Amino acid sequence: MPLPAKAFQRWLHGIAPDTSTADVCRLAGIKRTTLAQQLVRGKVAEATVVSISRAFNANPVSSLAYFETYRDLAGPQVPPTSHELVSQIATMDLLRAVIARSAPAAESGAESRGVAGVAGTPAPEHPAPGGQPALSPAPHATSVKNWVDAIDDGELRHRVSAATGIAPQNYSAQLTANRMAPEVAIATSRAAGVGLTGGLVATGLVTEAEAGWEPGARQAALDMLSDADLTVLAGDRLQSLGKTLRRQEQDHQQAEKIWENLG
Amino acid sequence: MIEILQWTTLIACGAAALSRIPNLVRKKNRSLFYVLALMTLAILLSIQGPYLVIDGLLGSTNLANLLLRFIIFGAIYFLGIRIANGFGDERGLRLIQGHAGLAILAVISVALLVLFAFMDTEGSSAGMMAVYARDERNKVLTEYYGAAGRAYPAYVCLALLPAMLRAVRSTLPAPLRISALLLAIGGIAVILSLYFQAIPPALGYLTYVINYTAILCFVFGLALIWLAKVRAGRNTMDRTGRSAARS
Repeated sequence: MPLPAKAFQRWLHGIAPDTSTADVCRLAGIKRTTLAQQLVRGKVAEATVVSISRAFNANPVSSLAYFETYRDLAGPQVPPTSHELVSQIATMDLLRAVIARSAPAAESGAESRGVAGVAGTPAPEHPAPGGQPALSPAPHATSVKNWVDAIDDGELRHRVSAATGIAPQNYSAQLTANRMAPEVAIATSRAAGVGLTGGLVATGLVTEAEAGWEPGARQAALDMLSDADLTVLAGDRLQSLGKTLRRQEQDHQQAEKIWENLG
Repeated sequence: MIEILQWTTLIACGAAALSRIPNLVRKKNRSLFYVLALMTLAILLSIQGPYLVIDGLLGSTNLANLLLRFIIFGAIYFLGIRIANGFGDERGLRLIQGHAGLAILAVISVALLVLFAFMDTEGSSAGMMAVYARDERNKVLTEYYGAAGRAYPAYVCLALLPAMLRAVRSTLPAPLRISALLLAIGGIAVILSLYFQAIPPALGYLTYVINYTAILCFVFGLALIWLAKVRAGRNTMDRTGRSAARS
């Protein structure tokens, strides 16, 4: 449930006491009509608070903590687990890491062995080579689903469903669509017993830095992965990407056929 | 009230048919134009005023009503094939175009002709109300005649309904799923028309509501598909334009 308008007004007065609503909207890059509508309905979106916080150099997570629903975001947060960190690395960055790790082996005359050959050699830690490109920032195209998969012990979805009253199939649909309401993200973190900001990063509401994640934490978690773990993870990601693309292509063909016959 | 519904449907359907003229000239999906034109004609024939004029030209023996039935059969047959093809519904296509479907069409058509021949059809009246009210024998015959006329469209819609409902729940683009929903609602309305005899005379207006709901759902469903195509076409052009600019 979004934030109550009254509490929002109080918060806004605290953060920008002498600024007109029009100026707040302009600085935060929000449409005035959007904010007006949210105020009239008495429900202000979390994203609105985040945008305004950024415009006034306040930490969005601390700002959210001002509101009753997000009270627990106040104070120091549990840092993300390494699984969570890795889940927020884009699939293409994981594949790039696979290639980067197998490249030295390929150069040393074992071209045909490729990744499979490297997976056999024990190489627990890889310091990031200097030339390696930086990871693209979270979130990525499947970050919500990957995040939930990373913290799921097998019963997580049921617990979230029980705690929030969201039907499991609706929850799954949200994950597939790479969407999740901030409140549900918090409930998911709570049900999994991990830091509360993980879901907010995965849904793209706040950045890693705003959530207090260490810079380079994702890269460090990636470097900690063994070759086998990385390869299996990249394989899983690639497989689900393939499924998604297959479905998209089928839908596209179907739509073309409908248009061809009925358009 | 019913008059408004009738004329609104006529205008909507006529406008949809007119919007197909550019495609007709370009020879793209011409059968859709014919389907919509036939539907427009059918609606015209179902309204009292135009019916009396046209039937007058045909000799005032309600021949126009028989014509109306076969116009509906033709429209629903071609529309059914188009929809089944578009939504990739092999089973529906077989049920409509296969031997069973054609046999059902033939049997129903013969039944219509025979029943019409046995009726005393003198004196124009839309929906053959006057014939129905003439005597007990004509009343029974008219009921069977009406039922036969509704049976074939209901058969086609029943054949297509599963594919429509599947499309509604699919992951297709939203406009196409809404279209499928509209076509499904139209289909259900046509299938409901099989039970018109069970509707008490006091609720007679329901038959009109159901009939015209079906037509409006079909027309808007088809229009939405066309709009989605136009929009998607523009998007793909944008995308190719952009990628061309990038390379």
